[in-house]
Amino acid sequence: MRHFQRYIYATKNYSENLKELRAKRLEKNKTHVLSQEERVFFSRLLGTIMAHHNEDEGSVGTSMHGVTAREQVFSFSVQGEDDGPSSHTVRFDDPTAKFALPVDSEHRATAFKPFSFAKPHMRAFHLGWISFFTCFISTFAAAPLVPIIRDNLDLTKSDIGNAGVASVSGAIFSRLAMGAVCDLLGARYGTAFLLMLSAPTVFSMSFVSDAGGYLSVRFMIGFCLATFVSCQYWTSVMFNGKIIGLVNGCAGGWGDMGGGVTQLLMPMVFHVIKLAGATPFTAWRIAFFIPGFLQVIMGILVLTLGQDLPDGNLSTLQKRGEVSKDKFTKVFWYAVLNYRTYVLFLLYGFSMGIEMTINNVISEYFFDRFQLELHTAGMIAASFGMANFFARPLGGYASDISARFFGMRGRLWTLWILQTSGGIFCVWLGRATSLPIAILSMMLFSVGVQAACGAIFGIVPFVSRRSLGLISGLTGAGGNFGSGLTQLIFFSSSKFHTADGLSLMGIMGMIFTLLVAFIHFPQWGSMFFGPTSDEKKSKEEHYYAAEWTEEEKRQGLHEGSLKFAENSRSERGRKAASDGSSPSTPPENGNPAHV
Amino acid sequence: MCTPPFISNIKSQQTKAYSSSLSKYSDSRISMAIHKSLFASLLICLLFQISHGATKERLFSDLEKGALEVTAKPSREGVLDAGIDKLSITWKLSSTATKEAEFTTIKVKLCYAPVSQVDRPWRKTENELFKDKSCPHKIITRAYDKSPQSFEYTLERDIPTGTYFVRAYAVDAKDHEVAFGQSTNEAKSTNLFSVQAISGRHKSLDIASICFSVFSVLALLVFFVNEKRKAKIEQSK
Repeated sequence: MRHFQRYIYATKNYSENLKELRAKRLEKNKTHVLSQEERVFFSRLLGTIMAHHNEDEGSVGTSMHGVTAREQVFSFSVQGEDDGPSSHTVRFDDPTAKFALPVDSEHRATAFKPFSFAKPHMRAFHLGWISFFTCFISTFAAAPLVPIIRDNLDLTKSDIGNAGVASVSGAIFSRLAMGAVCDLLGARYGTAFLLMLSAPTVFSMSFVSDAGGYLSVRFMIGFCLATFVSCQYWTSVMFNGKIIGLVNGCAGGWGDMGGGVTQLLMPMVFHVIKLAGATPFTAWRIAFFIPGFLQVIMGILVLTLGQDLPDGNLSTLQKRGEVSKDKFTKVFWYAVLNYRTYVLFLLYGFSMGIEMTINNVISEYFFDRFQLELHTAGMIAASFGMANFFARPLGGYASDISARFFGMRGRLWTLWILQTSGGIFCVWLGRATSLPIAILSMMLFSVGVQAACGAIFGIVPFVSRRSLGLISGLTGAGGNFGSGLTQLIFFSSSKFHTADGLSLMGIMGMIFTLLVAFIHFPQWGSMFFGPTSDEKKSKEEHYYAAEWTEEEKRQGLHEGSLKFAENSRSERGRKAASDGSSPSTPPENGNPAHV
Repeated sequence: MCTPPFISNIKSQQTKAYSSSLSKYSDSRISMAIHKSLFASLLICLLFQISHGATKERLFSDLEKGALEVTAKPSREGVLDAGIDKLSITWKLSSTATKEAEFTTIKVKLCYAPVSQVDRPWRKTENELFKDKSCPHKIITRAYDKSPQSFEYTLERDIPTGTYFVRAYAVDAKDHEVAFGQSTNEAKSTNLFSVQAISGRHKSLDIASICFSVFSVLALLVFFVNEKRKAKIEQSK
């Protein structure tokens, strides 16, 4: 009976309410297209009428729910309004009205305000990149103090080199596992687990008394570099695809700065502790407490201030129906089958890998070669890592700009140019015999190689849509692999002077950068070849849909990939704009997980 | 590599050129930045000059060998402990010395024996004096005296583990080395002594490190368990 009464009420008020809305619309906009309010009104009306026909309690519109325009309306949207999740504006009674930033329908932020700490988006961004920054500080904390540590522990050059290799090797595995951990526990716990379980390894530097202990502790500390993955995962769930490139570039670059800051921080802390009265061989051990404290503090901040997802924490949201997760075996299979994964693995190994190697060796190099004070050498070494603040976002930006004009070919050439010039300046650094030239070449080298890192992650999102997370993770692991390899070959034995090692590493980097020429997309071409002439294969849809089996396509699971393919037409460069077939903005959901 | 007067000429010319071209834009900030960067590069050049001084071409092989007779006697047998054991060092003018007139100061240093330099390029012996890193630890610096000198040296606590000998450089008024004498032979194989460094570890440090580690792990577990409990309570509601 109640239903019927409401039905009458709704239809009675129908004419008055609608007349008002129509008058307002004609007066203001002078159009026959229904206004937003009218459309919502009709949808609610429809809901109420449907409910009348529906005997069940609790179905849509059975109560007064929705009629008074103050309750939350469930999804009964009128057809034709659907133009993509990220283009929806906030509905006026949406709970998203409580977010400080504009959000899309998934509640991911569509604006990036670096100076804000608003919950939950910007807060997640800051917590994420600072955690990653802290872990970089811990991993490379030993590097500027090596001149002291090598005397205390009686290390040989091979010991130091091997420890450097160990410090980056652990992360190869932890970065691969981190994606799964974030899926299971949420980004917040992933980050906090890593920070707070690796803090004891940092503190355990105080126990080290020989080369073996030193190596094992540096290996264990190195595991925390997987915060790269958790940081990028966290920003990917918090920020919309249109701006995720910039957000991830900033988070990655500012986190990488930790490798530079540590070269400044540790000698300063060491110096202060020495002034306070400790002998050098004790002071460096006490200095390691600082990165340890930072990690514990960040871990607690992440747990108390952070939030897994825009709507809340994972454990509280887990009972609501989450989107069904893709099967790991399938994601793994398509990542492994794609040859571009391996090319990017190696390329990142010689951009990020070289950067991490330099973080480990450059302070000692300046200390020994130019007879500088420990903190002077640290200052110079720090400026290498600090260039990340603008260099990495710059690389991503350059990649995006070149894509606007030349499409994917532009991205590939940008990457090649940046990484090769990084290699050239690395060779120059090794050859430099005077301090000013060495510093100049190091700065140019740092910009080249760090911008190349940013440029690589301008390409990674287009390699696969289905396996994006895993490919990003594999690329990230490639960075650590490259670092371990270059340290092992060039900086672990007395075969080369460190200076020669630098030059040879630069040459090796340039050789491996030639692999960029092998990245070929059937729909966009490569550095030297155009897109394939095959009618079917030159469509973006074909490339991205090829990752789904016929069965899955029938179930419609590949819809996201198709949408992505349509938006990725911007990678054709200016031709796409002249075709008029798509907007020239970067694809939505385009660059989620720069892992 | 860089000569300051030349640079300052360039600088004044460049600043004039820059000022005239910038007066159009009248942006004092850009010119300030350029002045600052030129000044900074000039400073770096100066630093480089200072750090190298004028010792660039002086070679170890040019120094007079055996001008001083140096002995270094450890206070006890076996491996010495840094920070505890002593060396009694004596030095006097050798009868074969010829450049005695130039001696103003004697610098006594602790040097690495070849066995401690293996696979450690930061302790390498180089002929150019400014590059040579085999004698980094200063023991004592004294004005030159004709009579035999001696000194009781307690091994510093930052001396690393290794095998050592003692060398005394005779330095002239311009702070250039002219001669030396060492407690071992030319092949650096006799009269060497071994030192064991301090470990640098302390019990209090160990305890502090354990405490903080335990705190870190416990804090994480407490948060985790707490949240799981709250989620369960909310679910059962």
